[in-house]
Amino acid sequence: MTKAIVIGSGAGGSFAAMELAKAGWQVTIFEKGPNHFTNLGGQGPFGTVFANDSLAMLQRYFAEPDPEVFPRTWRPNPSAPAQTGSVDELPQVVGGGTVHWDAKVPRFWDIDFQQHSALGPYPGADVADWPFSYHDLAPYYDEVERLIGVQGDTTTFPDLVRKHAPRNGQYPMPPGPQMRSSTAIAHGATAVGLHPFPFPMAANSVSGYNGQHACNNCGFCSSFGCPVVARPSALVPLRQALRTGRVDLKPETMVTKIELKGNKATGVSWVTMTDAGPNTGTETADVIVMAASAIETVRLALLSDFPDRSGKLGRRLMLHAFIDGSAIFLDERMHAHRGRSVTQCAEDAADPDYPGARAFAKQHGLPYIRGGLMELGGSQDPIAEAQSYQTLLNFVRASRPFGTEFKQLMRASILRDRLAGCSLIGHDLPYLNHTVTLDPQVRDIFGVPVARITWSAGQHEQVAQQFWIPRLKAMMTKAGAGVALAVPATFNSGGLPTGNHVMGGMMMGTDPATSVTDAHGRVHGLDNVYAADGSVFVTSGAHNPTNTIMAVALRNMRHLSAMTAFP
Amino acid sequence: MSASGPRRRAIIAALPVAAGLAACTSSPKRIPQPATLGFFTEHQAAVVEAATARIAPGPKDDPAEAGHPGAREAGVTGYIDTMLGALDDQNIFAGGPWSNRHTSGPDLMARFIPLDPVARIAWRNRIIAWQEQYTKGISQLDKLAGGDFTKKPPAQQDKILATKSVSEFTSLLFEHTIEGLYSSPEYGGNKNLVGWKEIGFPGDVQPRGYSADEVERSDGHDPVGTGNAGTGNAGTGNTGVVADVLKLLGAL
Repeated sequence: MTKAIVIGSGAGGSFAAMELAKAGWQVTIFEKGPNHFTNLGGQGPFGTVFANDSLAMLQRYFAEPDPEVFPRTWRPNPSAPAQTGSVDELPQVVGGGTVHWDAKVPRFWDIDFQQHSALGPYPGADVADWPFSYHDLAPYYDEVERLIGVQGDTTTFPDLVRKHAPRNGQYPMPPGPQMRSSTAIAHGATAVGLHPFPFPMAANSVSGYNGQHACNNCGFCSSFGCPVVARPSALVPLRQALRTGRVDLKPETMVTKIELKGNKATGVSWVTMTDAGPNTGTETADVIVMAASAIETVRLALLSDFPDRSGKLGRRLMLHAFIDGSAIFLDERMHAHRGRSVTQCAEDAADPDYPGARAFAKQHGLPYIRGGLMELGGSQDPIAEAQSYQTLLNFVRASRPFGTEFKQLMRASILRDRLAGCSLIGHDLPYLNHTVTLDPQVRDIFGVPVARITWSAGQHEQVAQQFWIPRLKAMMTKAGAGVALAVPATFNSGGLPTGNHVMGGMMMGTDPATSVTDAHGRVHGLDNVYAADGSVFVTSGAHNPTNTIMAVALRNMRHLSAMTAFP
Repeated sequence: MSASGPRRRAIIAALPVAAGLAACTSSPKRIPQPATLGFFTEHQAAVVEAATARIAPGPKDDPAEAGHPGAREAGVTGYIDTMLGALDDQNIFAGGPWSNRHTSGPDLMARFIPLDPVARIAWRNRIIAWQEQYTKGISQLDKLAGGDFTKKPPAQQDKILATKSVSEFTSLLFEHTIEGLYSSPEYGGNKNLVGWKEIGFPGDVQPRGYSADEVERSDGHDPVGTGNAGTGNAGTGNTGVVADVLKLLGAL
């Protein structure tokens, strides 16, 4: 029996484990974080301890790596000093990033997969085509949507989406109730010539799909685990994998190295923490699948001294250059805490041919600019809201930045209950100098060098933001916002990337001289090591990436599962 | 970067921070002690109670807050003391999946989740660092007060809290005051949900959720007060703090 080790249990790892186990393979899944679910391998519903708990999820690292023990470092460019802390982390738990996502599942466009042929080369960037097209991937998108359960309505798709992401058939479930904050912004979007529609979402809108409850609109999707598991996501393939009886899931166990012998991996070294200190071990396998999310997969490849003929291992990190828009309604409370963390979106800004975009790019000496999908109508929780006022009071009340005026702000709630946020997911070009490397100084609790991220918004991203910020403001003003502001997300973070969309570093391709992995994610130069997460992405799209990670993992791992012999 | 790390939708979380000196109004009040203390001495608890009541004043602390519970009423000192004393109790992560606050049934969030061995190390480090910051910060406040922070009138306490040499500690106190006001009550603050009720936030609503109508409807015309907001006063033009913040945001 062929034996595989899968590293990570999130969007990519769960699909890898399912495909390989169903093909009769023995699979061990190493998950660095804990398991907060019960009955995953059993039949029927399963339980969780995830609650609508802002303190645990947003302040105390209940699901994310705690930077006290698992820090990363970040620097905007190679000559800047690196800062240490929590850098664009995804959850480190069984289920990975899909335990906290708001489960929005737009598809990448045809031009994303053939960006070089469709849009041409880009000065300063390493734009390339994927080794397959949108049409090749479309059946896998279909399969992912049926498997994890998606609500949406293809009849509401605007022409632009039909053109760039054509599809057959309807979603398995209809859209749920539309949030007031989302429909209000959608009204403004339509008024300025954009084309909003119900945001496809991988959460049950009807009870019983996958044997799980229907979403009841509690409002805690983005950044939270779902208390009623109406959004089972990667846990659906993970459960199918576990039910084969051939899968061993090992939580709280970190793979520290993939052991290589020539051009072949023999197994992995792992470490787990006990109250008596670290406990280490090794496990052998015929095939290794890395799915720890782009940054951690690259870190592991570097720790394992992978061959790097193209010189691109760890390069082309893409994180999306978000714009944070805030529509503040002075005459109405928008109650965005009720509903599914944004229920409307618009994809117009992903179009390089949006009216005026080509001319604006040309003025700046660029071939084209692309913004990205707009998420219409989100907000934030009271703790984050209060932190915003804590900062703002230092500007408007420097002599006493607290007290009754803080509480007045909380009651007025301009940055929560009156807020309808509008995030624009900024297309992020692949740059060779946006990298994941091993930090030369900082180590994690196990003494292993941590990932050092080098990233800042590039020229394309900055010009695209300049083009789209006034348009975002116009949309929010038309929607009735008394104050409409829009800033690059990095303005709020001192440059630090925070979008939670992590792609690149192990780009797929057909030529070992210009790519890190082959057309199915196998690492060039190694016979039996695969990457099955966002690290293999060639371009970043202009959309939430998780369902594309799933579809690509499904395609590549199905190919792998059909293989019977490894040299 | 901040200890908690920026969030996807945190609006204006990390603008560069300015500091300064202050003047203000209001009268001193007696300080009730938490029933039992996990970390603080009685005096330390009294200083934290007085300081957090200046950061988020209630009816006893500021005439403008009549009818509006603050840090004192929410039990913020108890929240912080529980956190700083959580080294052995592991009162770090409330359980789940819900509290049944809006329904009937047991409060499943009240059963705290044991820390895994890695999280135990992380929280031990963090709590020890906070304990040191509190011990040092409280004595700095006392020193600036000439001996006992709690004996100073509120205006003087405000001045002390706005002093540059203690700005890091004031900032930490503010962060923890926010958490004690607006986190789930299982963590020891937000007593009787006064933090959430004060701002019209229902908190966790599972397993009830919201109806389609509650999600979709407009709650109707509700103009923001740009001055003394929430008290029914429309405010006095650009002197109101809400108006000033809106002006700042509008200029970004």
